[in-house]
Amino acid sequence: MKTLVEMKNVVKKFPGVTALDGISFDIRSGEVHVLLGENGAGKSTLMKILSGVHKPTSGEIIIDGKAFDHLTPHDSYKNGISVIYQELSVINELSIGENLFIGRLPMKKLGFFETVDHSEINKRAREILETVGLNRDPKTAVEELSISEKQQVEIAKALAADSKVIIMDEPTASLTNSEVESLFKIIRRLKRDGKGIVFISHKLGEIMEIGDRVTVLKDGGYVGTKNISQITQDDLVTMMVGRQISKNYQHDTFDFENEPVIFEVANLSRKDNKVRDVSFKLHKGEILGFSGLVGSGRSEMMNAIFGAEPKSAGRIFIDGEEIKTSSPYSAIKKGLAMVTENRRETGFFHNFDIAENISVLPFVKTSGAGGISGLVSKKDEAQWADEQKEKLNIKCYSTKQLVSELSGGNQQKVILGKWLAADSKIIIFDEPTKGIDVGSKSEIYSLMRRLADEGKGVLVVSSELPELLSICDTIAVFREGKIVKFFNHREATEENIIHASTAQESEEI
Amino acid sequence: MPTKTKERELTFSQAWQRYGTLGILVLLLVILAILRPSFFFKTSTITQILSQSSVNILIALGEFFAILIAGIDLSVGSVVALSGMFMAKLMVSGTSPIAAVLLGVLMGALLGFINGILVNSTGLHPFIITLGTQAIFRGVTLIISDSSAVFGFPASFSRFMAQRIFYVPVAAIIAIAVALILAFLTKQTKLGRNIYALGGNRESAWYSGINIKLHTLIVFVISGICAGIAGVVLLGRVGSAEPAAATGFETYAIAAAIIGGTSFFGGKGKIFGVVMGGLIIGVINFGMNLLSVSSTLQQVVMGALIIGSVTLDRFVAGRK
Repeated sequence: MKTLVEMKNVVKKFPGVTALDGISFDIRSGEVHVLLGENGAGKSTLMKILSGVHKPTSGEIIIDGKAFDHLTPHDSYKNGISVIYQELSVINELSIGENLFIGRLPMKKLGFFETVDHSEINKRAREILETVGLNRDPKTAVEELSISEKQQVEIAKALAADSKVIIMDEPTASLTNSEVESLFKIIRRLKRDGKGIVFISHKLGEIMEIGDRVTVLKDGGYVGTKNISQITQDDLVTMMVGRQISKNYQHDTFDFENEPVIFEVANLSRKDNKVRDVSFKLHKGEILGFSGLVGSGRSEMMNAIFGAEPKSAGRIFIDGEEIKTSSPYSAIKKGLAMVTENRRETGFFHNFDIAENISVLPFVKTSGAGGISGLVSKKDEAQWADEQKEKLNIKCYSTKQLVSELSGGNQQKVILGKWLAADSKIIIFDEPTKGIDVGSKSEIYSLMRRLADEGKGVLVVSSELPELLSICDTIAVFREGKIVKFFNHREATEENIIHASTAQESEEI
Repeated sequence: MPTKTKERELTFSQAWQRYGTLGILVLLLVILAILRPSFFFKTSTITQILSQSSVNILIALGEFFAILIAGIDLSVGSVVALSGMFMAKLMVSGTSPIAAVLLGVLMGALLGFINGILVNSTGLHPFIITLGTQAIFRGVTLIISDSSAVFGFPASFSRFMAQRIFYVPVAAIIAIAVALILAFLTKQTKLGRNIYALGGNRESAWYSGINIKLHTLIVFVISGICAGIAGVVLLGRVGSAEPAAATGFETYAIAAAIIGGTSFFGGKGKIFGVVMGGLIIGVINFGMNLLSVSSTLQQVVMGALIIGSVTLDRFVAGRK
């Protein structure tokens, strides 16, 4: 088989972190090459180098015998590389046909003017749509299509651009089983036509079904490339795991099961079915982690517990006493706290300084009338800020500094500080170390352990398995909105957690 | 960019953020004093600028809150007219001026409440809602007034509004009092802090337990009350309630807030700045009249000044 694209020894360094450490990767005509690895392994970065979004620090990209030290988005497009991202980039307001040819619409002369030649568009679009099996009139507006149909339009767009290499980033993430089947049919057809497909996915079953070769990345490093016909699912898991865990934060002799239950959730469900009948208990001193694929319902559950998003059923208890959380305000009043996943979007206030960010929470918590009554005390504000700066070791020259000037780790500490200043009892951490440097990570882990030791409830959602394994006493595994298994940290390994979170519905785990 | 030095010296951009609008105001006054010294150094000039600016400053103070939550209130001009007309009707039908004024301001609050409820229940941007209510409130004003002016207020009302205390007109005293109350609200109350938080980041505010709908409602009620009070002042100054009163005043209110350093993206701004912004506009208007610039040209100058001052502000302060 002909090699279409070859990447040699690609290195990509971002400030403070090496995202790719000498990766080699090639795509051949008529194959599906799977790219596998945990979140943060470097898959997206590698593909963004290929699509011209990122410029590699060093390394070489060879397309059709031509060598490039980097690609621009235009180079990438001109050389027949198309990327279908998870967030589809079709333009909803335009028709299918217009979407296929956007940027190079066929034109026709009309007197002195040139106008878009719609009949030509629709004629050519019809042929391409047939290839991808989309039985729709090219004049249909894209907004009328389902997600899987939009994805088919994306694939058709790649074909319309005469792409030789089509990169699909988790294409099955939001598809139903039958939609996945028809996607696979299209992929097989593309293979027969000699296209090279890069398939990024976490779902091992799918990979075994559709892939020809697989390349595994881990922490930006290259693990290996294998022919799928020669390996098993277990081999894939083994290749993915095995990262060194530098330190464990659990107390080995501590038996939390004899400690009182400080937080309990019973039969929690959401109307949108993203969370289905979930129950768990948290003991004093225990850190409970939640593992699972992105979209398996972990964050959705936390948002429902915290009252930020609605729940349809379920009861929540703190220290054995039932609490109602109809809004974050009511949850906060009862002592819940949530360190959200996206600091910038849902965590801090860019227009506030450190002290103001920290004092928001205690001010709200101590106010009446739905959070509006009461006066601001500058003295309290300064005191809370100084306490948290001290306690959490927030690195800043003054608590009057803007939060946006701080590093990711210090921003996270400020956010944690606002919850601690409000004397929260149960603290939910959603991806607490996302985008945070290694040094701050271990500081945050130590903090979480200290909080648990002080009797606070600590719940952690994380997509980084080594993180959960090194800090949690218990790990609950989510799959399709349910907790499918609890692991004690003594029995938890990356292998059995990946198995539990990726096994197909019918399989036994 | 803000300084990283340990001791916080006041950098130029910080100084500008704090005193920039005051500087512009002083500069304008100096220019005016040089060009027309004979007129300028009369107490009546100051009095006139203050009383002319009061209505705009009052409206702008309410508008400030709507902009602070990254919204806007386009209905303020119509609220001034409707609550003013309502007051006027009450007074000419024999209601005591004090009761009429209170009920008129209450009418402003009610209209703001309607804006807030509509924004909250439809989820539409305040721009759209208040564009609609601007027309509705104006229409109601025309209906209840039968499209004609109402005048003949009790002498006690007119006398009170025309008073001066140490050369300061009552209108200006009202505006200053409202500004002081609102400055207290923004700086010293949890409500004020929450409104800044909501304007800075809605999502973060929601996750921090701030009730977004309740605060949005309160903001529009504040805007309505301010417009209602502006209605009282306008009534006192003009001596009659015109159905077309205050048409287009929202533009000047928005301009005053923006010139005063309020961020259109929400979360940033100060009451002091809004007052400065209102005075700057007042001085420019007064100055152009004094220099007999034609009213048509005044519009052009005003528009250019709005764009120019905000651009200068962004440029000097290095803000995004």
